[in-house]
Amino acid sequence: MTITAEMMEGVTTELCREAAEHAASEGPDWLRARRLEAWDLYEATPMPTTKLETWRYTDLERKLDLDRLELADREAVPFDTVDYPEAVRTAMNEDRRGTGHVVEIDGAVVHVDLDPELAALGVVLMSLRRAVDTHGELLERHLATKAVPASDGKFQALNAALWSDGVFLYVPRGVRLEHPVRVTRWASAPGTAYFTRTLVLADRESQVSFVDEILSPNFESQTLHSSAVEMFALDGAQVQYVSLQRMGRGVFHLSQQRTLAHRDSTLDTLNVNLGASVARLDLNAQLLGPGANSDMMGLYFGDDDQHFDHSTSQDHIAPHAKSDLLYKGALDGASHAVFRGIIKVHPGAQRTDAYQTNRNLLLSGDAQAHSLPNLEIEADDVRCSHGATVGQLDEESLFYLMSRGLGLERAERLVVQGFLGEVLSRLPLGGVVEKVSRAIEEKLGHA
Amino acid sequence: MTDSPILKISGLRAKVAEEDLEILKGVDLELRAGEIHAIMGPNASGKSTLAKIVAGHPGYEVTGGSIRYRDRDLLELEPDERSRAGVFMAFQYPVEIPGVSIANFLRTALQARLDEGEELDLFDFQDRLLERMDLLDMEPAFAERPVNEGFSGGEKKRNEILQMAVLEPMLALMDETDSGLDIDALQVVASGVNKLKSERPEMAVLLITHYQRLLNFIRPDVVHVMVDGQIARTGGPEVALELEAGGYATYREAEAAV
Ligand SMILES: Nc1ncnc2c1ncn2[C@@H]1O[C@H](COP(=O)(O)OP(=O)(O)O)[C@@H](O)[C@H]1O
Ligand SMILES: [Mg+2]
Repeated sequence: MTITAEMMEGVTTELCREAAEHAASEGPDWLRARRLEAWDLYEATPMPTTKLETWRYTDLERKLDLDRLELADREAVPFDTVDYPEAVRTAMNEDRRGTGHVVEIDGAVVHVDLDPELAALGVVLMSLRRAVDTHGELLERHLATKAVPASDGKFQALNAALWSDGVFLYVPRGVRLEHPVRVTRWASAPGTAYFTRTLVLADRESQVSFVDEILSPNFESQTLHSSAVEMFALDGAQVQYVSLQRMGRGVFHLSQQRTLAHRDSTLDTLNVNLGASVARLDLNAQLLGPGANSDMMGLYFGDDDQHFDHSTSQDHIAPHAKSDLLYKGALDGASHAVFRGIIKVHPGAQRTDAYQTNRNLLLSGDAQAHSLPNLEIEADDVRCSHGATVGQLDEESLFYLMSRGLGLERAERLVVQGFLGEVLSRLPLGGVVEKVSRAIEEKLGHA
Repeated sequence: MTDSPILKISGLRAKVAEEDLEILKGVDLELRAGEIHAIMGPNASGKSTLAKIVAGHPGYEVTGGSIRYRDRDLLELEPDERSRAGVFMAFQYPVEIPGVSIANFLRTALQARLDEGEELDLFDFQDRLLERMDLLDMEPAFAERPVNEGFSGGEKKRNEILQMAVLEPMLALMDETDSGLDIDALQVVASGVNKLKSERPEMAVLLITHYQRLLNFIRPDVVHVMVDGQIARTGGPEVALELEAGGYATYREAEAAV
């Protein structure tokens, strides 16, 4: 039986099969089938518990209450620039030098602009929902298939079933974008579940950087923000993805990302987590062709009872590829960070270079960090290393700084800035470094 | 110059905080504006501890006596307040601050000296920093390096002198600024101190050193010998020369006999 839109109206906003059917009520057949299949997978997959190694430190039973969430009401969106929330306007004003901009509010893209010269060269930047109609073939091949398919896990399935909108970026062969594409996302309704996706396709020898800033106010009742990010760098392409998560407290932020780096391509990521009450990142980098290179950087800074859980994997499938991961975080208050990373060198992936480092700086006695780096190597001619540290602010460093006249707070701030700055210094993107530094400074000021 | 000493340490006793280990056992010392004093003494006699206590290190507890600095009770002040009041210690073992450039560090230190709401002029700061580095024959690129990270011994000590040059203290405590340096590096550091001293003759300097050779380059007015947490002797520059000839053995024997 087909449920029509009319029948759905006012019926339900809960996360249930009807909602998935409603979402599947528009769009081409392949998409409808994919959404419903995803929903079935979601239902068939048990909720992860702390018995699973990958969820050991994030107790969903305590931290997430899916039953109380409502789906985003896609009609209540301001389509007029004047109504943009202050935080969105501030973020956009910082992004003037972008090559293109997308604004997504409450799960729907409300604004897209792209340098007309690039549009003429065939660059596509648009709402993912709209792209279903205009670029159906590309989407059918790449959306929730090889990168973040429903079969990846419970939440990947939920997103694949219910996503409301997102960003689609296609960069044609040989086209190079001088300045980043900037996306600003805003979620405003408390107690709501948002599902958005990002699909980036960088064709051969193209170049693009993509900055994804996610914002919201603080919420009294739990709000879910689920983001699936799929990135393809074809042969020789250079892609950089930056996610800057600055959502308010009360948010459970889920970010599920996979990068596919083909021959001689570069696919770098930087994930910055500063906001939300709980932020969970699943990032899988696949090195699919010789000469592929992925720099994976992460930055987090928690306070109060913030909880950040990072799960990364570096999959070396092809020989002669390189991946280098550096995740650093500072933790104040009673915040808690988890880093779980694995380097997997598949049989035949000779001459792999793979590195993994996680460093944590505890600023208070109540803060905690768990760091679990791991290696799984099935080739013999490889260079791999992993390392993890959890350290405290040491008395000697603070005394040294104070003996030069810095008050305790200023001294602590400088140490934290320096500690996190190592990650930013590896980031070649101008403008982004300042933006992230400013966000950290702002947070340090409040801490 | 006033008559009252810039630094007056009387009967200072101190121990390691939260431990029963007494290190300073009644130290008396007076330093006037413009004077250069040296403290010499064998390893582990308490020289660094004395300097750190003057700078306000939280790892030690003063159990007796007093330290007055320009007619104030220095022990009442936090380490940062002491610095802003003009006390500076060049560390025997300078600390690495990863990711923080020397320029950023010094800018923050100068900013901390301003009143709330007052902003350091960044162009003035840049000019000043370059001028100070020029005075000490340092390359401008040095200021962009993270504080002490991967520095050679000599670079660490020169970094201390640069900080001293920028912060312009009234009282400089220099803890083994000569140790670990070859003769060329030693001369560079010593000439830096001498330049700063000639710029501001009223600055008082307390040189802590294990060897007499530094005193060939920076001439002290007074030399103290510290043994087992006490000043065992105070005299003129000749004391250093005696030590060079006879070592610390006589002081040790005197101690043992008590
Ligand atoms: N924080 C500390 N904890 C334990 N022992 C200490 C500490 N600081 C100093 N000491 C001890 O006190 C003595 C004097 O040390 P120090 O002041 O560094 O001597 P000096 O600088 O003259 O070589 C040494 O025996 C040293 O081991
Ligand atoms: Mg010493």
